Amino acid sequence: MNSSNPEGTYLTKSVLEVNGQKLKSLFNAALIWVKVNQQRINSLNVFPVPDGDTGTNMFLTMQSAYQEVAQSNDNNAGRVMRTIAQGALMGARGNSGVILSQLLRGFARALDEKEQIDAPLLIKCLTEARNTAYKGVVRPVEGTILTVAKDIANYAETSLTDTNNLVQILEAIVKEADRSVKRTPELLPILKQAGVVDSGGIGLFFLLEGMLRFVKKMPLDETGVEKHAQIVPIADLEILDNAIEPGQDFEVVVDFVPNSPINIETLYTDLAKIGTSIQIGEGDSMYRMHIHVPRNNQYMPINYIDKIGTVQKVYIENLIEQMRKKGTINTQNSSIKIKEGQIAVVAVSPGEGISKIFYSLGVAAIIPGGQTMNPSTKEILDAFENLPTDKIIILPNNENIILTAESTIPMSKKKVAVIPAISVPQGLIACLRFDPEGDYESVIKEMTESLGEVETGEITTATRSVQINGVDVKKGEVIALHNGKLVDSSKNLTIASMNLLDKIGAEKKEHITIFYGSGLKESQVNKIIQPIKAKYTEQEIEIHNGGQPHYQLIIAVE
Amino acid sequence: MTDKKDHLGKITVSQHAIATVAYQSALESYGVVGMADKDIVSGLSKLLFKDPAAGVTVNFDGDSVTIDMYIVVEYGTRISSVASSVANNVKFQVEKVIGIPVKSVNVHVRGLHVSNAD
Repeated sequence: MNSSNPEGTYLTKSVLEVNGQKLKSLFNAALIWVKVNQQRINSLNVFPVPDGDTGTNMFLTMQSAYQEVAQSNDNNAGRVMRTIAQGALMGARGNSGVILSQLLRGFARALDEKEQIDAPLLIKCLTEARNTAYKGVVRPVEGTILTVAKDIANYAETSLTDTNNLVQILEAIVKEADRSVKRTPELLPILKQAGVVDSGGIGLFFLLEGMLRFVKKMPLDETGVEKHAQIVPIADLEILDNAIEPGQDFEVVVDFVPNSPINIETLYTDLAKIGTSIQIGEGDSMYRMHIHVPRNNQYMPINYIDKIGTVQKVYIENLIEQMRKKGTINTQNSSIKIKEGQIAVVAVSPGEGISKIFYSLGVAAIIPGGQTMNPSTKEILDAFENLPTDKIIILPNNENIILTAESTIPMSKKKVAVIPAISVPQGLIACLRFDPEGDYESVIKEMTESLGEVETGEITTATRSVQINGVDVKKGEVIALHNGKLVDSSKNLTIASMNLLDKIGAEKKEHITIFYGSGLKESQVNKIIQPIKAKYTEQEIEIHNGGQPHYQLIIAVE
Repeated sequence: MTDKKDHLGKITVSQHAIATVAYQSALESYGVVGMADKDIVSGLSKLLFKDPAAGVTVNFDGDSVTIDMYIVVEYGTRISSVASSVANNVKFQVEKVIGIPVKSVNVHVRGLHVSNAD
């Protein structure tokens, strides 16, 4: 996906026909816009089921649809649309996703194999989309995405037949979609009770609006999103002390009584210039404002509130200090500042000590995870989406995490590369080649090539009896793995690690680095290390507290 | 029958009542075009039964219920998504309307209905 709008120029004021490639670009814009507004759509869900995250479901359905045509150079609009519909069907998620896929299917059917879409055909397609979607349910619930699709089609049939300008039609149906979405609470009482509009309906609106924004060359990123301003009861104010963004060091809370009724939109807009994580709460004849601001800005919210009302109480907390006390930020972490345009590396780390080493090697963010605790796509995405650069490199450091890491590539607007490091030592060796200022492609190449320069040894306890690679393992025995392959099973740690180093061929190498796990005491570690030091006198041996679970030892040999 | 103790007496809800709620919510689920007779595999000829019990079975399991839905799905939709949304919808509606915990909803897709062949 790409948020830039290089091809937006072709759709000038008057467009009479759209071919396959233009259709594809429009779809990409729709996909991006739904993604950007995903959380907004999710927040409108009133049913705990069946569509808990309408925005996410619609985005994933759209993504699956677009992926089918992403590489296509076909100029035939009909064929492109049919492929999109096919992709949507395969990836349909949740109720709204299924309905969306039916809408696209109907649209594609009316388009048939036509080279271009023109105005009469577009209206026919919208009509067929509506008809197909309604065939999929016995008792349509009105006030949903179905209603919005129906309203658009009806409006196009009755009011848009006298123009042949597609831009004009698109503009008109986006407006009608907006009106239709706003009518949904009148049709579906549960929406009215919750004070929201239908989530699937607004999802369809964003889909169409994304296309229109693309045509009008308006931005397709967060800058185009209206601030989600709302007042909540004071008790519902969430003090998110984990949500510290870089540079937002102070939390400021001000209780105040406004001089005149406050305009929430203005308040949000003004405060957004000062800081982030803005929340406004309402209590007994007073308001509470919550904001995170950078150092040196910490008095600005107070001065601002002072102008619009009477300040009653002020509360300021240094978040960085607070987090440091809790131990959730270590110094290496907060000292790393990624500058714009630099390359940022995010690494998956199984333990505290290993994380520290990664940080010291210039890693921008750590995703906790490893054996039996694979991070999700979202956790990986979250680790880098807020970094102030668009060049990202992920070090999964575990074979089972590579695929998850790769799945973030199409989901982010940033350039993302995954270095297939299958172990912590591989991740560390790759970091040594990392140059934040370097050329993105060559840094990736260098880091990937470096993976072979380290031998990985791992020591863990067998969870069941098994025979692999000719090694007989009994449950509870200590097993040794060389580059992920089982090479030894022994009664105790010392023997296992000696055998492992022997299999790796450590006597011909120069460095042995040992990370011991959270399950080992220092006295135990010393016992293991002594014979190693005695045997490998030529090699440099380093010992670190890795803090990883499951693996008593992770060993890097170079 | 399932019983609930109220401070005045007993409230009894029949399987048929639960089946009716389940039936209604299934028909409101997107992608479901009808219920199929649970005993006959070719449900296509008998779309839209008037009797909800025909496509729904309800079994009591201690204090909770297990519901089996026999549905006909619109051709061209993603069947797994439709089926899981039926299960969610039925569980949500039955628990909300009747107030009995639903232990599981098994969805049996007994046929596809073709409105338009592509």
